[in-house]
Parts: sequence; C-alpha cells; structure tokens
Amino acid sequence: MTNANVMRIWYVPVEVLTLKRWLIPAFIINILLLTIDVLREDNNNLILGILGCIVLFGLRSNLPEMFQRKRRDISLILSALIVGIGTLRLISLEFSIFNLWMQSWLIIPGILSLIWLSSKPVSVWTGRELSTSAIEYGLKRNYELKSNFSKIASHIILIHFVIVTVFPLVWIFDIAISPGNALGGEIGDSFSGEHFSKILSGDSFWVWMTNSLIVSLGTCLLGLTIAIPAGYAFSRYKFSGRDVSMFAFLLVQMFPGIIILVPYFLVMKTLGLLNSHLGLILAYCVTALPLCVWMLKGFFDTVPRELEEAAMLDGCNQFQVFTKVVLPLSLPAIAVTALFSFLAAWNEFLLALTFNTSNDMYTLPVGLASLISSTGQAWGDFAAASILVSLPVALLFLFFQKFLIEGLSAGGVKG
Amino acid sequence: MVQVEYKNVTKTYEDGFEAVKELNLDIKDGEFLVLLGPSGCGKSTTLRMLAGLEEVTDGDILIDGLKVNHLPSGARGLGMVFQSYALYPHMTISDNLSFGLRMSKGEEKLSTEEINKRVIEAAEMLDLSDHLDKKPKELSGGQRQRVALGRALVRQPKVLLMDEPLSNLDAELRHQMRNEIRRLHDELGTTTIYVTHDQIEAMTLADRVAILDKGILQQHTSPLDAYNNPANEFVRTFLCRHIDDLVETANNLFNDTK
Ligand SMILES: Nc1ncnc2c1ncn2[C@@H]1O[C@H](COP(=O)(O)OP(=O)(O)OP(=O)(O)O)[C@@H](O)[C@H]1O
Ligand SMILES: [Mg+2]
Repeated sequence: MTNANVMRIWYVPVEVLTLKRWLIPAFIINILLLTIDVLREDNNNLILGILGCIVLFGLRSNLPEMFQRKRRDISLILSALIVGIGTLRLISLEFSIFNLWMQSWLIIPGILSLIWLSSKPVSVWTGRELSTSAIEYGLKRNYELKSNFSKIASHIILIHFVIVTVFPLVWIFDIAISPGNALGGEIGDSFSGEHFSKILSGDSFWVWMTNSLIVSLGTCLLGLTIAIPAGYAFSRYKFSGRDVSMFAFLLVQMFPGIIILVPYFLVMKTLGLLNSHLGLILAYCVTALPLCVWMLKGFFDTVPRELEEAAMLDGCNQFQVFTKVVLPLSLPAIAVTALFSFLAAWNEFLLALTFNTSNDMYTLPVGLASLISSTGQAWGDFAAASILVSLPVALLFLFFQKFLIEGLSAGGVKG
Repeated sequence: MVQVEYKNVTKTYEDGFEAVKELNLDIKDGEFLVLLGPSGCGKSTTLRMLAGLEEVTDGDILIDGLKVNHLPSGARGLGMVFQSYALYPHMTISDNLSFGLRMSKGEEKLSTEEINKRVIEAAEMLDLSDHLDKKPKELSGGQRQRVALGRALVRQPKVLLMDEPLSNLDAELRHQMRNEIRRLHDELGTTTIYVTHDQIEAMTLADRVAILDKGILQQHTSPLDAYNNPANEFVRTFLCRHIDDLVETANNLFNDTK
C-alpha cells in the first residue's frame, strides 16, 4: 500500500470523529431523560422523545465514510429531523430553564451535526478522492482542533457533575441565609444573618464543637499511636499469629454497626464510660483502626528494605531506622490515615447518640439533630449549623489536598 | 590493621536452605577481595552476614580478631554499597552523605564543622560537589552510584562492602566506575569486599578472588593464579572457559574484519 493510501485511511475529518464519539453519550443521556417524561405522564412528548432517540441512534450509525456523499446527505436529513423533534418538544412544554436544558440535549447535537456535516472539509472528504497534500493539511487541522473539541466536550460533562454536586450545597446555604425557617422559596431572594448569629451566640453550639473536636482529635491521635507501630510490625516482622490477627482486625468491620451497638452500650455502661469523651474515642478507634492499620501496612510494604539496612549500617538502632527513615517517607500515608480517622469520628452519629445522652456531651451531628426535633424543625438554624460543622472539614481537605492525592496513589507507583 | 575472618561459617535460612556451608575465608588488611560465583551461590548472604544484616547460624565472623556475630550493624564500622543504591529519598545528597556521621555515638561523634568538611571532601573526591543540594531522584544512575559510594566512605569504614554495585549501570558507565572504584581503593587503602557474578570485573578489580558455588568455597587466590591453576572443574568452566570464550570471540571479530 502506498503512503498516500495509508494516510487516506487514517484521515477522518475531526468533525466526523467528534460526532462519532460524542453522539453516544448524547444518546444515553436522552434515554435517561425519557424517564422525566414518564414521570410527568406526558405521553405525546414521550413518543416524540423516543422518536428523537431512535433518530439519534440512526444518525450515529449512518455517519458517512470516505466518498459516501449519499450517506452524508441522509445524515443531514436525520440531523434536521432531530432539531425539529427537539424544537417541537420545547414548544409543547411550558418554558423553563430546566426544560430548555433538557431539550438542548437533542437540539444542540442536531445543530452541530447539521453545521459540521455540511462544512467544507466534510463535503470535500465525502465528495472526491483527496490529494496527498490535502490529507496532510487535513491531518494537521485535525491535530490542531481535536484537543479543543474534546476539551469543550469534557468540560460540558464536568460542569454537569459540578452542578449536581453543588446544587444541594447552594440550597442549604440559601436556607441558612434566608429569614424564617421555610424550606421553599427562590434561591437568593432574601438575606438575613439571623440563623448564623443565633447559632454562634448560643452556648450549645460551642459546647458541641468542643466535644466533637476532643473526640475527633482523640480518635485521630490514639488511632495513629496504635496504627503506626502496628502497621509497621505487620509489614516488617514475621510472628506467629500474624495473618490471623490481620484478619481478626477486619472482623469488626464485617458487621453492620447497628449489630454491635447494644453490646457496645452494655460494655460502656459497665466501664462507666457513658456520657464521656473517652468512651466515644475508644469506640471510634475500634472502627477506624483496621482501615488505618491496613492502609499503613500497605504503605510500609512499599518502602524498600535496603533503605532500612543502609540506615542500620549508618549506625541507627531499630527505633531510629523507623523515625529517621521510614516515618519521614510515610508522611503522606500517615496524613491520609489521620484525616480518615478524624473524619470518621467527626461525622459519626449513631454511637454518639446512644452513648452520650446529656446535652452538654453531644457531639455536633447529634446536637444538629436535636435542633430539628426539640425546637420544631428549625431548618434555618439547622442549615446554618451544618455549614459551620462542615467548614473545618472543608478547610482540612483543602490543606491536606496535596498529601491526600499523593497518599492515595502511593501504593500504585514506586517513586 | 583490619583483618576479617570467616571461621566455619554456616548460614541456614528459616526454610532450612543452606546458603553458605562451612566457609573459611580470611581477608587481609587493605586487600581488595572479590566474591565471585554464579547467581544464587551465596555471595550476598556471605557479605550480609559480615554486615550484620543476616544472622550467622554457625561459626564465627571476626573483625580484627573480635567476634562480631552479635554486634549491631552500626557498631561494626562498616560501609556498604547496595545494588539498588538505597539512597534516602527524602534527604538531599549532602544529608545522605552525612547521615551516618550524624548517627555516630559517643566518642566517635563529630562536630558539625568536621562533618561538613568530610562531606565536602567526599563530594570533591567523587565529583559530586555541584549536586549536594539535590535529592536523589534528580541525579543520573552513575551519580547515584557515586553518592552511595560516598555515603559508605565518609565514615571511613574499616571494611567497605559492595554487593554488585555496578549491575544497574550501562556498559560504558560500568567500565568507568570500575576504574573509579579501583582508584579509590588504591588511594584510601580501605579493606574492600566486592560481590559480583561478572568474571571480568573480578579479574580486573581483585587482589584475590574467592570463588563460590552452591554455598561452598571453591578457590581462594589471586585472579591470575585462579586462571592458571584452577582448583577444580567448576572453576575451570566458570572462570577459565568463560574468559577463553571471550578472548576467542574478540579474536574472531578482529580476524574477520581483517
Ligand atoms: N531470606 C531467605 N530465605 C530463604 N532462602 C534464601 C533467602 N535469601 C536467600 N536465600 C537463598 O540463598 C541462596 C543464596 O542467596 P544469595 O542472595 O546469597 O545469592 P547470590 O550469590 O548473592 O546470588 P545473586 O548473584 O543472584 O545475587 C539462594 O539460593 C537463595 O534462594
Ligand atoms: Mg546477590
């Protein structure tokens, strides 16, 4: 085969390539959107929507190849059909941003495909045999445009994810800064700081915050103090019962928390640890430890043995080998573990609710829940407090972000 | 005077495998000894027992007439160069070099100035002066190898141990580093034990070679003597035949091109 022929086979205009790739997600999304029509019991639009999906699928399978002018023309007709169906659906519905967004999943692919398939590069490509220099030019053009196209497409997807994740947050924020305790109302229609000032000036919030901090930091510290040496021992030493105890660690994780709740309660009661910080810290450590130990063991496994041997020849004793060589190398993993155990304790609800029953021993999640029941659904206070509760965690994440990413990928690649 | 002696040393691993059997070996002061043998013959094990990284199952290892079987690694006054370099990734080159000095205890403890002086000397000797502030991952393979060598040397070890230190380098660099290692030995006169499975490396570097097979010492003599008077069939095949083959290949090449 001549070079020109090879190039001819490899050259497909970027417009067609893009359509080939992105019509599939568009098709899937349209199918998913049909459920909305089903929920609305809007049969006319449902039929139109199904029709749209079918035509979209037809367009995707009918995209033209080289020299296929006829298929190109059919594709153009199909695209126009899609735009038509989309517009029809849009007109028949009451106008709203949501409906516009929904229909744009039909209309925009249709319009793009209309424009792109009738553009000059595609017409030429489907119309006649291209000269070598034309292909060279086309490949260069593809190269220049391709990254832009896929950037735009992936950003559209990402923006959707962002909206889905951010929307509840925005809503909560809106409730927190709206006067009164209503859940409805347009977003951003009125403003008041009453909820925040009420929460911040009340005593209980600060008491709960202190409790939460003590319990979470305690869990984090106690957990690490046990998990670091344990993980190291599991990673480096062979002793009888090693495998069994590694497995036993996981045993607690295998029961749903609610099963061990009652035994836990009885144990804590016998020990006189109800309504205390220590009781919660101990209970949280039991649940957080296995994960921490396993994570740290996994990381210590990746620290080469020869490094420790070198340190021993450099005159370190066993403890110094650990503190001066292994520990500094493991900081990312330790940071991740610390964060995990902190968060687990910070967010836990059930145990805290069961063990600590007096108001001044509540942790934040329990305190928050009490806002709803006792003062007759104080949604505004609740929202404001939720934001205040998640703030430290959000800050922590921002601060640890670099470590987190490093730590999570640490086992995978050897640096 | 630094003298190393293996007396009837046997190593049996936990799984019952005998890696070294009844080894008797002596290394003289200032000598360059090469441990030579095929893969899996127990060279590394022999070396690691001296370094205190493996326990001795039976027999004694003596440094300067002192039995060191149960002395911690750091107290034996040895320097070791690992095949994978084993540089501390989180420290700069200068910290890597000075780590051993900073770790020394009691009388051996040096002042900061003295440590700096020694690091700078070592860096100059190994042509690393420009890289002292870098981290190991910013260096080339050859440079890392030299840092590993420098780290072993700054403590002015009684014995320098090297376990296949050049096997991660390309041919050209290996040749260069081989000369470098021999030059350093001649300059410093440190007693050196060098492990390799490369016959040419052994022939060019060694004052004496100790040839091992299946954990048993086959011959212990100067390289030339081993080549001229192989003690047994194994040495004949592993050393003499191998070198003859190399020479023949080279000659054939030469003749063909003529
Ligand atoms: N931890 C261990 N447990 C059991 N057997 C081992 C252990 N370490 C090494 N061995 C065995 O001891 C023998 C000698 O190992 P050693 O590492 O000393 O070989 P070597 O001569 O250095 O080989 P190479 O040139 O491949 O590095 C090998 O057969 C090996 O399988
Ligand atoms: Mg070896």
